Parts: sequence; structure tokens; C-alpha cells
Amino acid sequence: MRTIWLASYPKSGNTWLRMLIANLSAKDDAPVDINDLPERGGIASARGPFDYLTLIDSSLLTHDEIDALRPRVYEQLASGAQDDEYDKPENVPPARFVKVHDAYSLTPKGEPLLAGARGAEAAIVIVRDPRDVAPSLANHSAISIDEAIAFMSYNESGFCGKTHRQHSQLRQKLAGWSGHIASWLDQADIPVHLMRYEDLQADTFGALRRALDFVGRPASEDDMRRAVAFADFAQLRQQEPTKAFARRRGRGRAAVSSAAARRAAGATSFRPNRSHASKANTPA
Amino acid sequence: MHSYRVAGLAVASEIELPGAIPAQPSRAPAVTVRAAPVPASLHDAAKKGVTWQIAGDRFLFQVPDVARFLLSGGREIIFEPAPGVEAGDVSIFLIGTVFGILLHQRGEIVLHASAVRVNDKAVLFCGASGAGKSTLAAALAQRSFPLVADDLCAITLAAGVAPMVQPDGRHLKLWAQAIEKLDLADRRGAAVRNRLEKFFVEPTVALAEPLPLGAVYALREARPPYRPGIERPNVVDAALLLRRSAYRPLMVNRMGQKADYFLAATAIANAAGIFHLTRALSFAAMPDVVSSLERHWLDIGLTEKAA
Repeated sequence: MRTIWLASYPKSGNTWLRMLIANLSAKDDAPVDINDLPERGGIASARGPFDYLTLIDSSLLTHDEIDALRPRVYEQLASGAQDDEYDKPENVPPARFVKVHDAYSLTPKGEPLLAGARGAEAAIVIVRDPRDVAPSLANHSAISIDEAIAFMSYNESGFCGKTHRQHSQLRQKLAGWSGHIASWLDQADIPVHLMRYEDLQADTFGALRRALDFVGRPASEDDMRRAVAFADFAQLRQQEPTKAFARRRGRGRAAVSSAAARRAAGATSFRPNRSHASKANTPA
Repeated sequence: MHSYRVAGLAVASEIELPGAIPAQPSRAPAVTVRAAPVPASLHDAAKKGVTWQIAGDRFLFQVPDVARFLLSGGREIIFEPAPGVEAGDVSIFLIGTVFGILLHQRGEIVLHASAVRVNDKAVLFCGASGAGKSTLAAALAQRSFPLVADDLCAITLAAGVAPMVQPDGRHLKLWAQAIEKLDLADRRGAAVRNRLEKFFVEPTVALAEPLPLGAVYALREARPPYRPGIERPNVVDAALLLRRSAYRPLMVNRMGQKADYFLAATAIANAAGIFHLTRALSFAAMPDVVSSLERHWLDIGLTEKAA
């Protein structure tokens, strides 16, 4: 089965896109519940598949030791290895779309953490205006907006990197907001389709169509219309009442000063625009 | 030579195995552990994975930059540390994954579980790394339920008698945060590896003798759609749950042991019960979790109401 990364900085619409893709295979009138999105294999940094395939208790390894083995795990999964003992689903989807928040980086041994072309065929990279990411991240992580901006500006920041406790996921180096997007656009291992969150919001059908065309995932117009309807915000909100899960365009943006936003976007002042869409990185 | 009992087996080891249960030397140990050169690969390997290869009754396993291990016939383990690696870094993987694979190789039912004694039976808490097995066992040990196992539980099944649980050691392995939150600093021992903030912790009481199995709980985090509580899955789900709770589920799959685990699940479900324990993964929730377990033990007859 083909593997496609759904790569994004946190709070940038990754789950929404996963919902859209999962609902392409939804049956009739039954939306795929957000809680049914597979956790296993659902995100590249999941601990379970690593432990399952390596036989090693990852809690006995350092973050760097884990990173050194991660490419081997992604190669196995991309070549069809199961990641758990669940029975295989009856209808195997045509491709594995795997969420990933890690920046595109190299392991301590100098190989791509995500195993380059052996780990996935391509990536859909979602980018969202950092002025909207900041309040969403603040809310998600229960920190102030200033703290969220500092986190987004710091190129050493990441998730699950503490050393005195065990996180449910493996460490993810995020490289800061601008470092994150640059890492994915600058790598030359796999082709990238850049999707703007704002475009997905303005024209969900069209943005989804372009992404699916890019990865060669066939979908009928009916399937796509149903997926768009099922993945609608109202459905998400209804299905996940206990989590502060929301796509809130602009909400909280007023609280982010333009200077702060520039800090968050970093020195590269990356401005996502349509000319980046479907930028295919071919090996140099 | 050091002598231990691991999962009920007499073990003679050239290398010290911190955490394992010391024993009198045996004339005919079931398992020997020694240092010797280990090949980087098995030329006749029939099955291969990320860190392992199987050829006949030999199993090659490696923790990159730490050590290679060769297990033969479920009886012999040889190990070769990577250059500059300390003994403690080797032994922690020996008493974990390597003995776990050896037990799979011997065809035993071995679960990834911690366990405590409740009355005269062992109660198991199964879960993957990070599910909270050791933390829950530590909290129960503080409530005077003796520790039976921290990580690996071998279960012996025989016709006509209750399934028996073999204890796995005398220590818990806990992260610095758990030690602090559970107020166990005075029991903290050495780091499980010198590069980790995870430590051996000596419980108040730990047991070295096998016990009949009282109940098996599969730990699950309370997040939608799972609500906190204890429930008994149907027998089909219980069988899958037990297989997923194997010490190394991939080995059940690759060593052709699915039928064994299915039969074990049936026996355990009948004799003791297999349950889901769903709870918030927070230290604040721990007192409630312990209370709900104590109520459940009354309900299923593991304990009796005080007169």
C-alpha cells in the first residue's frame, strides 16, 4: 500500500484533512467518527508501532536512540508491515495517509528520520497563517499566546521531549513554525504538495481535489461531496464535545500583534501563496 | 556466575541482572546467559524484522549501539555489548525484551503486565509501554498490596488447576516524575540506564513465589469514546485483548502462537476474568482508580467485606 505523509505544524488543519480523506471511504449516511480515526498508524510519532515492530521497550531508550531506529520502522510500515494485532480492515483503503508533526529532519546518524522515499511516496504539507496557529496552540497547550508565539519562534522547540517522564508519543522536533515549513519544502527526498489551510477553508472541495490529484488517489465527485459534508465543522464539534477542537478562523487573531506574528513567522518571513502549490521536489 | 529465577526458570548468568529474583545456584539451570561474539546476521534467516531475525530455533536480536543477543532453543542467551557499553545497559534489555522473547521461544504465555497480590491471588495490569502499569502497581503497593511483577508476567496453564502467575522481580521501574508524585524518593534506587531518568524503586513488599491468577485488567486511557470504569469484554474481544497484551505481540504472530493465546484467553476468562480498566492517565485520578479496583475486587469475590 502507498504511504503519503500529511505533514503540518500542530494546529494547522491536519485532523480536518484526515477527516476529509477518511470520509472518502465512508459508507452511505455514516460519517467516520473523529474518535475512530486510527490512533495506531494515525500519527508517525505514535509509540505503539515502534515498540511493536522493534520489540524494544521505547521507554528504555533515549530520544536520540529512538530517532536512530525510526527510519527502519517507517520503511517496514511503508512496505506493508502491520503495526498492531488488530485484524486488518475489510476494505483496505488505496493509500495510507499518515499524520506527522515532526519537521523533516535527519537522525543523529544523518539519514532522514522519516526514511525519505522508502518511508513514503509523497507528502501533503498543510500550512496555516501563524497568527491563527498561535491562539489555537495556546488553547491546546494551555499556555498564553505570548508563550505560544515564543514556542513557535524557537527552532529547538518540540513535543514530547521531556526526559523525566514518559510521553504517550515519541519526541517530535518541530523546528519552530518557519523552520518546520522550510524543512518540508527544502527536502529533496519526496515530492510535496503544499496546501494552505485558508484555501481548504475557502474552497474545501477544490483544495481536496488538487491534493488527491497530486497523490493520485481517485475519488468520485459524489464521494468527495459527501466527505466534505461529513467532515464539516459542525460534525466535528458534535462528535468531539470534550475537546476544545475548533477551526476558528481569525478568532484570537486580534490578540496577536503584528510584531508578534512576525516573530512567529521567523526570519525567513515565509509567505505561503499559490505559487508554492504542487511544488514537486525532485531529487537534486 | 549469578543465579536467578526468571519467570519461574532457574537462570545462570555471567552478568549481573539487577531487578531479577536471586536464587540458589542450580545444577541444571534452564537458561544460561553468557558473553560471546554474536553474529551481525543469520545467513539462513527465514524471518526478519527491524531489530531481529529468526533461523530455526535461533533468534538474533539487537539494540543498536547497545548489544546484540543470540537466543537458542529457549535455553541459551549469548550477548555481545557494543564497544564502550556498560554492563547495566545490557542487563536492562536482558531482563526485559530478551527474556520476554526467550519465553515466547519456549512457547509460554507471557504478558506485558505489572501485578500485585490481592489476598492470595495475583491481579495483572496489562498495557503497552507508557500505559501506566508500573505506576498503578506502585500506587497499589503503597496501599499494602505486595508487588508480584513490574513488566513481564509468565502464566503457567495446566488442566484442572488455576492459571499460575510467575513473579518477575523485586523492583519497579519508575520515571522521576512518578517517583515524585507518588512520594517514593526514599525508595529510589539506581537508574535503570545511566542515561535515563527512570529508576529502580524498591516496593515495601515484593513476592518471589508463583500465585494463582485472580484477574487481568487491560489498561486503557479514558478519552472519547472510552469512559472511565471497569467492564468485561465479550469472549472474542477478550481473546484479542490477551493477544495484544502478550509481552511481544509481534512474536505471537511470527512464532505461530495465536491459537495458544486464544486458548489461554479462554482459560483465563473462565478462571479469573479479563477486564478493561479505563481511567484518566493522571496522578490526580489515582485514588479514584484504586477505590474502583477495590470495589471491583469485592464484586468479583477476590476480597470480602470486612466484618
